[in-house]
Amino acid sequence: MSDDTPAPAAPPPAKTAQRTSWQQLRSALRPGASKGHLLPALLCALLGFAVVVQVRSTQDAGLDGLRQTDLVRILDDVTERSDRLSTEARDLEDTRARVTGGTDGTRAALEEARERSRVLGILAGTLPAVGPGIELTISDPEGNVGSDVLLDTLQELRDAGAEAVEISSLDGPAVRVVASTSFVDPAEGVEEGQPSRVVVDGTELTSPYRFRVIGDSRTLAAALDIPGGVLDVLAQSEAQGVVDPSDEVTIASLRAAPSPRYARPATDAPD
Amino acid sequence: MIAAIGLVLGIVAGLFLEPTVPTWLQPYLPIAVVAALDAVFGGLRALLDGIFDDRVFVVSFIANVLVAALIVYLGDQLGVGTQLSTGVVVVLGIRIFSNAAAIRRQLFRA
Repeated sequence: MSDDTPAPAAPPPAKTAQRTSWQQLRSALRPGASKGHLLPALLCALLGFAVVVQVRSTQDAGLDGLRQTDLVRILDDVTERSDRLSTEARDLEDTRARVTGGTDGTRAALEEARERSRVLGILAGTLPAVGPGIELTISDPEGNVGSDVLLDTLQELRDAGAEAVEISSLDGPAVRVVASTSFVDPAEGVEEGQPSRVVVDGTELTSPYRFRVIGDSRTLAAALDIPGGVLDVLAQSEAQGVVDPSDEVTIASLRAAPSPRYARPATDAPD
Repeated sequence: MIAAIGLVLGIVAGLFLEPTVPTWLQPYLPIAVVAALDAVFGGLRALLDGIFDDRVFVVSFIANVLVAALIVYLGDQLGVGTQLSTGVVVVLGIRIFSNAAAIRRQLFRA
């Protein structure tokens, strides 16, 4: 490289030298163009231009300005990074598979629990039920049908596979029949010749009674109709039982779910 | 003065024109810029010494740029382009620093 700056000659005294250089600078900055300064100015303009261009091209540097060795190094970096990232991606996919598998299991368990709660809700009378079954209407104008007959009827229905039972007065209050349902004769007794009354779970029902039963209608009807069965007993009591099979019996009456005060699930209960 | 104006004009032109560097020039431009900077600092030092000569400046400027470009080209051909470029930048950087130091001594006596 050419050396355009020969070392300054013997340095003049300090003060003078300093003033001289400032004067030089000032005179150089004085606006006044000599012809000889034109070319350096042009070169300076070129320099400024080149600097800006280079800075710009560096800022939006693509790969096209790079040397082969740099490109190889970058390629190595990228390959290594990609390997690392794909390993990480594999790990994450494994984790995701584990987590979603777990979720599936949880979801299935939840679904099963919901299903069981529905079934138990029908058994416990906390959910309305609908399905094929029969309607049994017992009219008892003579007042001969007591709680024992109704309980027998209910047991007969249960034996025949009744899944949900409701007993009501015709056009009167309805009681959902569950495991703990009780049939009690009214305390004051029933007068002769009056329609009978019975207290079911604290609700007083008067004849005629209606059982709504969900189950296999043919089995239920047959169970009631056997010789010596419910319908025979009713006929002997001068009462009348009418069985009406139906494809869709709706049991809408509900019962509050009992919450046990003392009993609680054993922790090691089998699932 | 006119040189400073020229520098500013060049920067402004570069900012507004937003040219793209042609591919064949890309390896040489950075080194050429550093070499030209070296020439400019040398010229500034000569100015303060009172021995500035525009002919010398022009010749040194162009020669600096050309030699720098030549070295880079040669380095690329020899397969040591990166190292040689680094070497050129180091040498030019040292020269710029020494020139800047001389200018500083001239102006501030320090």
